[in-house]
Amino acid sequence: MRFDAQRVSLWMSATFGGILVVAFLIFPGFFPPMSPTMSAQEVADFYADNAPLIRASMITFDFCGVMLLPLFTVVIHQLKRIRTSTDVFAYCYLSAVTSGAALLALANLFWLIGAFRPERDAHLVQLMNDLAWITFTAPVGTMVAQNLCFALAVYLDQGERPVFPRWVGHFNIVTGLLVIPAACASIFTSGPLAWDGLISYWLRLATLGTYMIVMFVVLRRVVAEELAEEAGSAEGDLALAVG
Amino acid sequence: MTATVRPAPVIGGVAPGDRLDLRICWWITVGFYGLFGVIFVLLARVMPPPGADLSTEQIVAFYADHRTTIKIGFGILMVAIGGAAIASGIVAYEMTRMSVGKVFVYTYIVSLSVGALPGCLLAAICCLTATFRADLDPQVTELLFDITFLSFVGSLGCFVANYSILALAILLDENEVFPKWMAYVTIWQIVTELLAAPVFIFRTGPFSWNGVISFWEGTALFGIYMMLLIRLVRRNITTPAAVS
Repeated sequence: MRFDAQRVSLWMSATFGGILVVAFLIFPGFFPPMSPTMSAQEVADFYADNAPLIRASMITFDFCGVMLLPLFTVVIHQLKRIRTSTDVFAYCYLSAVTSGAALLALANLFWLIGAFRPERDAHLVQLMNDLAWITFTAPVGTMVAQNLCFALAVYLDQGERPVFPRWVGHFNIVTGLLVIPAACASIFTSGPLAWDGLISYWLRLATLGTYMIVMFVVLRRVVAEELAEEAGSAEGDLALAVG
Repeated sequence: MTATVRPAPVIGGVAPGDRLDLRICWWITVGFYGLFGVIFVLLARVMPPPGADLSTEQIVAFYADHRTTIKIGFGILMVAIGGAAIASGIVAYEMTRMSVGKVFVYTYIVSLSVGALPGCLLAAICCLTATFRADLDPQVTELLFDITFLSFVGSLGCFVANYSILALAILLDENEVFPKWMAYVTIWQIVTELLAAPVFIFRTGPFSWNGVISFWEGTALFGIYMMLLIRLVRRNITTPAAVS
């Protein structure tokens, strides 16, 4: 069997995405999410009491977070297959994905630095915790741009057989809109928009989780279609050459 | 000159040179830089930057005075930052039409999208963190202040790489996608980054992060550069001159 980079990429992201879920579940500060209203001393105590699990979880996050990238590179390849418009959205998408991945790598670093010396001045532990949560939650703009570019590319696909079904465009717009309010996590310390709130935390994470699963399924089908088309045209070429 | 530019693809009834995808990206780019100006200058008040020589008390006062507008401005930026990716994508697309080949395009995109972190996002995140709690230790506030401005004004390499590749691409391109003088405008951007390097050393004078050379000259030239680049992209996407 011949391995195809796109299929391998999708399964890489799915596998490491699964590990990420485990890392997420064992992080002591996620269920329930730590409140921004905790005092500096409470935060420092939390890090001191939970240092081993915070480290285990965030080291795993560090390893696996950016492993979600391969799935997005498959999207870029598929966007470039849309022949009726230019590649501009694929380039915008690549740029947004790169910044987003760098942000994810930064957030878990802040958590790990916080857990490294929990006995330091409580204000400094709280600072690392604030930086981690804000970086993790608020900069939704890269995903918004990504999803917008994706949807626009899908809407402008005038091919006889569009690469992506229309509804995937709508789906990207909706998920992009649902994560926007999480930007407010950098502003509010309580309520649904705070980083532990119903909208900024629960809605955003549920949206991201659903998004990854749906896109995985969609991309599997789209890649299969492309490979089938290629195989079909290769057979055609062979028939021509033989004939 | 030989006609080596790929003809523009026709999108369902839309003539080449009047491509909807490029026009959308162009307008988003213009909107993004407009918003960027409003956020940085009018709301967050980080352009022009407060002095690098402020005392700890003055720094605490700076955040106290501008707390609300910093939150509004950088809160919006958290959503709008993706506009930078679209601005980078449309220039990258223009570069694919150059005769030098596509490889430069990837350096252009990746250097800018990595640069978005130290050059913009880290500064905004630290500023937001400094205003997140009213009872922050003044020493911590001062540290966040320094991170904000040193990363914002002092992120050099990503942008030098980006300008270098664009200038080279323009100079080596035979399709005249951008005029050659734009390469020299771009090279001036490299010079401004070099002149911003001393912000890590000086807290007063022309080379401090709010200085005449490191900030004002660099910002003025960046404004000119960006306006010219946006105009040139506009020219390329509105005139059906895709084939020479």
